[in-house]
Amino acid sequence: MTHDATETDRSADRHTRRRFLALGGAAGVAGLAGCSAERTADDGENDGDGSDGDGSEDGGSDGDGGAGDDGESETPTLTVATYGAFIDAPSVSPGEWLKEEFESRVDAELEWATPDNEVNYYVERAASGASIDADLYVGLTAEDLVRVDEEVDDDLFASAGEVEGSDAVREGLRFDPFERAVPFDTGYVSLVYDGTETEAPETFEGLLAEEHRGDLIAQNPGGSSTGRAFMLHTVARFGDGGVAGDGEAVEGDDGDPDYDYLDYWAELQDNDVRVLGSWDDAYTSWSEGEAPIVVSYSTDQVFADMEGANLEEHQIRFLNDQAYATPEGMAVFADADEPDLAREFMSFMLEPDVQGEIAQRNVAFPATDTAELPDDYAELAQEPAEPVTFTYDQLQGSLDGWISEWERQFAGN
Amino acid sequence: MSHGSGGRGGPDAPEHRRNRTARLRDRIERHALAGLTVATVAVLAVVFYYPVGTVLVESVVVDGAVTLGVFVDLLRDPFYFGELARLFAGESPLTVARALVDPDRRLGIVGFTAYQAALSTVASVALGLPAAYLLARFEFPGRRTLRSLTIVPFVLPSIMVAVGFVATFGRNGTLNALLAAVGLGPVELMFSLEAIVIAHAFYNAPLVARVTTAAWESVDAGAVETARSLGAGPLRSFLDVVAPQVYPAVLMGAALTFVFTFGTFPIVLALGGFELATVEVFVYRLARDLNYAEAAALAVVELVISLAVLGAYLRYEARHTVTSRGVRPLPRRPLVPSAPTAGALLARLGLGVYGVVAALVFLAPIASMVLASVTGGDGTLTLDHYRFLVERQRTGAAFQVRPWPAIRNSLVFAAASALVALPMGVVVAVVTTRRYRGRKLVDAVAMAPFAVSGILVGLGLLRGLVFGVEVAGWRIAVAGSAAIVAAHAVAGYPFVVRTVAPGLESLDRSLIESARALGASRARVLGDVELPLVWPGVVAGAAFAVAISMGEFTATVVLATGADAYTMPVAIERFIGRRLGPATAMGCVLLVVTGLSFVVIERLGGEYDGI
Repeated sequence: MTHDATETDRSADRHTRRRFLALGGAAGVAGLAGCSAERTADDGENDGDGSDGDGSEDGGSDGDGGAGDDGESETPTLTVATYGAFIDAPSVSPGEWLKEEFESRVDAELEWATPDNEVNYYVERAASGASIDADLYVGLTAEDLVRVDEEVDDDLFASAGEVEGSDAVREGLRFDPFERAVPFDTGYVSLVYDGTETEAPETFEGLLAEEHRGDLIAQNPGGSSTGRAFMLHTVARFGDGGVAGDGEAVEGDDGDPDYDYLDYWAELQDNDVRVLGSWDDAYTSWSEGEAPIVVSYSTDQVFADMEGANLEEHQIRFLNDQAYATPEGMAVFADADEPDLAREFMSFMLEPDVQGEIAQRNVAFPATDTAELPDDYAELAQEPAEPVTFTYDQLQGSLDGWISEWERQFAGN
Repeated sequence: MSHGSGGRGGPDAPEHRRNRTARLRDRIERHALAGLTVATVAVLAVVFYYPVGTVLVESVVVDGAVTLGVFVDLLRDPFYFGELARLFAGESPLTVARALVDPDRRLGIVGFTAYQAALSTVASVALGLPAAYLLARFEFPGRRTLRSLTIVPFVLPSIMVAVGFVATFGRNGTLNALLAAVGLGPVELMFSLEAIVIAHAFYNAPLVARVTTAAWESVDAGAVETARSLGAGPLRSFLDVVAPQVYPAVLMGAALTFVFTFGTFPIVLALGGFELATVEVFVYRLARDLNYAEAAALAVVELVISLAVLGAYLRYEARHTVTSRGVRPLPRRPLVPSAPTAGALLARLGLGVYGVVAALVFLAPIASMVLASVTGGDGTLTLDHYRFLVERQRTGAAFQVRPWPAIRNSLVFAAASALVALPMGVVVAVVTTRRYRGRKLVDAVAMAPFAVSGILVGLGLLRGLVFGVEVAGWRIAVAGSAAIVAAHAVAGYPFVVRTVAPGLESLDRSLIESARALGASRARVLGDVELPLVWPGVVAGAAFAVAISMGEFTATVVLATGADAYTMPVAIERFIGRRLGPATAMGCVLLVVTGLSFVVIERLGGEYDGI
């Protein structure tokens, strides 16, 4: 390239450059426009504890949500918080159907909120003193409640109270002793295996056999709910050896007090179990044939059937005829703007036809025994003879210890 | 430029007005740099230091009381610090040293994380340098496009890379099929340290290649010719003239690779498994379980180690810059030599071998990803996954993630954040290349967005920006598109600093001093003299800023809450299901859109050489 050419290039460059810098300044200004300011008005209600007179006077003058209250009776809006896949999954998800159906039955508008941090998002909001901005949360687990109760001083959720239809919820699924969360569906974490490659063992001990060396892919109990459920299942099976410290030790179903879940995991690790980060990681590797058995949900064949896959490659195995149940619940936020409407939504979720739709669209099992499901649903969605799950009380004070002891043993380098 | 001349000239009105606007422009120009510096500091404070501070402070403030207890416990925990924990616990250094040379020594999670980062750095440099050599020294059709596309791996979400890697290096993968074809046994690469190191090289070797290529291209041909005319052989002149100018760039690539792979997270568990868990895995778990004190303390440990590495590099950079004045780049050689000599053939043979390795490490995983996007549940070829994208676009509910808004947002955010990151980066580069005590400290602190745990940045943004702060009865919150652009700019601007600063540092100071003596404002010297001379660095920085924005996930999902501000990586995450088809199809859209963007940026930025 000659010098003259570069000279012109350079002057052209200079122009672009200046435009870049000028535009940069403009974008910076636009950035400032993203601010929002809103009156913090909830002092009026909570000024009892400690805040000085100035603040309460300031906030008390205009009531909380004053703009919405006064004036004509508009259609109320119910904000339902949930996890992303509940309203937006590539295959099926119940969100859209539920919104349409609820709005057709009740004079209300339903708005979904799916913060990425899920329940933790609301824990954070509460801790920061920001308003909750949602009426109820759909998709709570027993572990979530234990964590929330340990970390949040005030109540994040209100008691469910009178929810029509909640009598129909199956007994074994009620996981909240304080009756805030009402279960609306459940899944079972089991083994899924490729029947053309191997025959999965029928017991936990079978996974330790030489013929199943390197065959199992599980997930990190600290980061994935299937991984956590599978680890909890091993605790239920073999006991925790008292590692959790406080509270009494969990005795395993195996009847051997000297052998606990960590001993089992040590042997599983010797037999080359793979513990990957998330369910996605594990299922991808399993689908690509890295190993023939994966920890997943007992509804796997429903999806496989939808995709026209060979069901022989999607077999379900319940170890010791058991599977870990992962019931999902819904609870009203203590701070809800529309608590009555929220409870109305909860009873709606428990109606027999809605229960059937949720189960099919969330590819799970209904929480009530009155659900209306097509007869052939059970052919592909399998339930174990004996569901296993820890109650809230058993998890409280233990869950953290179980996970961190497992981590320390498994990753110790 | 020559202000002062003719201000009080004739009574001519238009002339007078012109002078007044000229003076005004002059005044703005005079304060431009200071103004930009203040704006940069403000953006960093609001979008980075304050939010991150709200989280990191939890490591020393527990239940309202200041304590170092969390750190003490952490440092003395052999699980994290291995044998070194005994040192912190008060054992004699001699015993600890003996334990460290013992083959049964424990590295601890922190030690292992550093170890795998070091291996990943070596692999990235080994795979990046030959690419830089090829791109900087040879001419062949498609060279510029190839150079533009080298940045593509940078934006791929880890789940896509995991899909590509399993399909390439897995039991039934491409590599084993190739090996079987030539009669070699299968290799088990998955779920091993090797798999992680290769994946890290996939992400970071292109980084090393880009910064090295830029440095190599700005080596002055005149200097090499002088050396040759003074009797130096090709090797001697390479070692004495070319290498010293390229080293700093290689080291920069290495230092950044170390920092990025030290903070690695999802890919380690996807391709390695929990045995190979890194520090960030525990930061994630602890934060998820709301155990913020420990999570923050671990993140501070990460930050200190990363900043120490960056700081060491910066000290080196400051001492080893070669002063140069305007360069004419080395002429490129044709890839097919006109007169084949032994040396020329050997070099090309080496590049050929490298080409095969590069095809396997970089192209095969991407090709596998593309293949996965057109493979149905039953293994046959199909366009169903792309049909899904079209369908979702057409019929998706308002609250669902749709492809087109994701593409549009990604492009808008990337362009806007590059426009914010460029002036920020240039300003910080100028500020840190002036001579004063402690400037390297400023420089290291300015690099912090690279070194802070991404998980805690997300948490900080949630607390500091989305929830906002209460000021006099008002809650000030920042969220939505503008905040996303600012967060992306903060994440990308350190690249601009790193690609621009070495050039500024190496400029002959007399150029700037003469311009200043002639009456040019500091901003004008920067705009008219310095930046044109380091223009390749500016364009490279812009490309990185765009790449960071296109690939960013954590800050985006946090700040897009409740808004229609999701981007392509967010859409990919949403489309992950039982079958990876829809997500991989969206991944390919990301691939194509970003690839095209980089080609366009570098075309707009102009060819590097000729400056």
